[in-house]
Amino acid sequence: MSRMFYPKLAANNIKKNYKTYVPFIMTCTLSVMMFYIMFFLRNNKGLDIMGGGQTLRSILGMGLVVIGIFSVIFLFYTNSFLIKRRKKEFGLFNILGMDKKNLAKVIAAETFYAAAISISLGLILGIVFSKLGTLILFRLLDFELPFGFDISWSAAGYTVLVFSVIFFLMVLNNLRHIHLSKPVELLAAGNVGEKEPGTKWLLAFAGTVCLAAGYVIAIVTQEPLQALALFLVAVVLVIAGTYLVFVAGSIAFLKLLRKNKGFYYQTKHFISVSGMIYRMKQNAVGLANICVLSTMVIVMLSTTFSLYLGLNDELRSQYPRNLFVRGCDIDVQKSRAAADEAKDLAEKMDIKQKHTVDYRYLAFHASYKKSRFKNAYPGDAYQSGDNGMVILIPLDEYNRMQDTEVRLSKGEAVFYSPNAQLHEKEVYFRDQKVKIIKTVKNINVQESYYMRLADVYYFIVPGEEDVIQIAKKFPTSGKQNDLDFYYGFDTDASPKKQINYVGELNSLYTEKYTEGGERDLLAEGSENVRAGFLSVYGGLFFVGLFLGAIFIMAVVLIMYYKQISEGYEDKERFRIMKNVGMSHREIKKTIRSQVLTVFFLPLAVAGIHIAFAFKMIVRMLAVMNMTNEMLFACCVAATVAVFAVFYSVVYAMTAKVYYRIVE
Amino acid sequence: MNFLEVNNLKKIYTTRFGGNQVRALSNVSFSVEKGEFVAIMGESGSGKTTLLNIIASLDKPTSGEVKLSGENIVSISEKRISAFRRENLGFIFQDFNLLDNFSVKDNILLPLVLEGRKYDEMEKYIRPLAEKLAIDDILTKFPYEISGGQKQRTAAARALITAPKIILADEPTGALDSRSAEGILEILSDINKEGQTVLMVTHSLKAASNAGRVLFIKDGEVFHQIYKGNMTNRDMYQKISDTLTGLAAGGDKK
Repeated sequence: MSRMFYPKLAANNIKKNYKTYVPFIMTCTLSVMMFYIMFFLRNNKGLDIMGGGQTLRSILGMGLVVIGIFSVIFLFYTNSFLIKRRKKEFGLFNILGMDKKNLAKVIAAETFYAAAISISLGLILGIVFSKLGTLILFRLLDFELPFGFDISWSAAGYTVLVFSVIFFLMVLNNLRHIHLSKPVELLAAGNVGEKEPGTKWLLAFAGTVCLAAGYVIAIVTQEPLQALALFLVAVVLVIAGTYLVFVAGSIAFLKLLRKNKGFYYQTKHFISVSGMIYRMKQNAVGLANICVLSTMVIVMLSTTFSLYLGLNDELRSQYPRNLFVRGCDIDVQKSRAAADEAKDLAEKMDIKQKHTVDYRYLAFHASYKKSRFKNAYPGDAYQSGDNGMVILIPLDEYNRMQDTEVRLSKGEAVFYSPNAQLHEKEVYFRDQKVKIIKTVKNINVQESYYMRLADVYYFIVPGEEDVIQIAKKFPTSGKQNDLDFYYGFDTDASPKKQINYVGELNSLYTEKYTEGGERDLLAEGSENVRAGFLSVYGGLFFVGLFLGAIFIMAVVLIMYYKQISEGYEDKERFRIMKNVGMSHREIKKTIRSQVLTVFFLPLAVAGIHIAFAFKMIVRMLAVMNMTNEMLFACCVAATVAVFAVFYSVVYAMTAKVYYRIVE
Repeated sequence: MNFLEVNNLKKIYTTRFGGNQVRALSNVSFSVEKGEFVAIMGESGSGKTTLLNIIASLDKPTSGEVKLSGENIVSISEKRISAFRRENLGFIFQDFNLLDNFSVKDNILLPLVLEGRKYDEMEKYIRPLAEKLAIDDILTKFPYEISGGQKQRTAAARALITAPKIILADEPTGALDSRSAEGILEILSDINKEGQTVLMVTHSLKAASNAGRVLFIKDGEVFHQIYKGNMTNRDMYQKISDTLTGLAAGGDKK
């Protein structure tokens, strides 16, 4: 036998099995391509000079890890399809006189070819499309592209290494399959008599409970930070529930249908119900996979998309004024001086002020219950749900801000809250009683960042010493001897001017107010952090797009393989039904309804998951300052629409292949 | 008028890439009376399965006609053919053709469900039939749980449940051991005695010797036929055997 016999046979095998091999090689190629592009972007030198480039690099790195792990799982999964279909062929070779060593050579050669083709093709495509990837990424980040075409050799090297290892593991796995089985088993592998699945009532019940629990958590959780903590729990419950319901619940449900004789023994239901029982046994896990994947794709894309689009809102809620000065633990004179300097500099630089706010205050965490503010820390206060943020402002400041002449006696206060109500007229700060003599509708302060996370209470108390006295009872106030200071305003000036302003004001402050190397005044501006925000949210969106593309590819391939392998099995069954007197039209109708159900069931369930998760995700996005519910709803709708279109195209394509096999 | 009439049936297959034509049936004519049990014998490739497929309306002849109670099966439209098959013909196949995902009971009821009958009605039909075929205690089992003989009796029950005009059996004993084969042949004889017309294709002498008449097919034509008359199965077996020996030796047409 010539030395070239096995390689030749292997090449031939790939050619003969193109129907199963081509999609497999395509998937491998695309995975290699995606991996290289992600690696390339992560290594991009442009990130070094970009604001927030390091954050972006670590986001891309995380994306890379996810792609790597996913590639392993996914390629193994498709490979198992491939091997299952071909066991018969291997059995035949075995019986015709090839021993297992020879078979191993053929399999190794086949995998080697598949690996060589997909890695080289994937790298070429990756190098070609890396430019496009860079363009998209930098476009999203609003960043000028600094240089031309480039190949990252280290990225290419790592890509080859990672995928060589994956393919090597795949060969080992395939050899294990062949090694463990007897030739007769290999021959019969294609048509093992399928037993009817047993009903696992307990599992079905557990699945329903898991799903219900996950949904209830998603609906009931009101506090944003609580949502963040419980989301993972809900996700795990829903994923477990999805698998259990698909695997056990579906069969239990179908068997219940079968028990209802009047329903079951009707032409329409008879064949589809029993067919579905049979189908669900083999496909439940695959369908659950698809359902979970689809849900992840939609959630990931819509959240990252809306975060990216809502960037301005997010920036605004974290930085309620374009330009501002913050002072910490400083006295009244210094506050006034700092405010005057900020104002003078703005005038000098021809920056027009809008929405100016200017006040001294102290803020601390407290939980409010039964007319009493109690000591609380951020963590436990948010967990318990009755969290609060108290902001105390002295009367002098209030009268200056509002241009009023309110008077307060000792122990009296004016109350304001943007998002909460106090019904009591007397409240206690731990043991100190304060009498609310007036509740106002509005005061000129910056919109508190905590508004979305907690109840915010403003109290105007008679003097600075009252502020300090109350605040000292609460450790989160910092137990300062003086108050904090905030001076901020909006402007229409150009971003560049704004950034310059912050720089100049800070150097001015450094010059004047640095005592012992420490400065207690700091100027900041929203334009200064915009690039950082962009690189985080743009990077997340980009990674979301990337992973979304890969997940969609996975869904497509799983579907394709499922339909093909089912087609071969169904062929025989439909032949029998035709013999027994089922018309061509009836057969076609049943096929369509079954294929449709199998195809769109996961998507429908994914839709239900997302409907339940919607509120919870909205609350979590609030933590990231994304509060535009409408925008998020639109993003979800757009993602679902795009996904559904993809899905339908795949359906049309695979259904065609399926019909061709069955008929 | 004859119950089943086959006139000048011809079937020519053209191989896939044009070229060769294969003549499966050249000119077949015969008729079957109501209540008869006819066996068709012939070697592999003699065209007997093609003939049965055409009578079963699963295949169309190149020319010729098949009349069941005066209606020409060949000219029934594609739309009506399934319903016609369901109502008039009952099939028993060599490899049983049972559906794995249906229980024995559901397999038997399949034709009735396709017809759209009420469940109460189905129950009424299946009880006596299952008892007669001795499968009443395995009705809830699945095909992969029962023996070959039981499978074939299930298939027979499925063929009989619609009370068809004619039962078409294609090598019904082909995949069975001798005891199970005897069982199914006995059933066919019994239902024939009750007035059921049966047409069976086989190359088993034993199976054919149960029939009232045996047709021999060779090279796509009816070559010879023998009647059982008052002969015992054993005598019939001998006679068929002699005829086949003669056929193989290249005897003349009678």
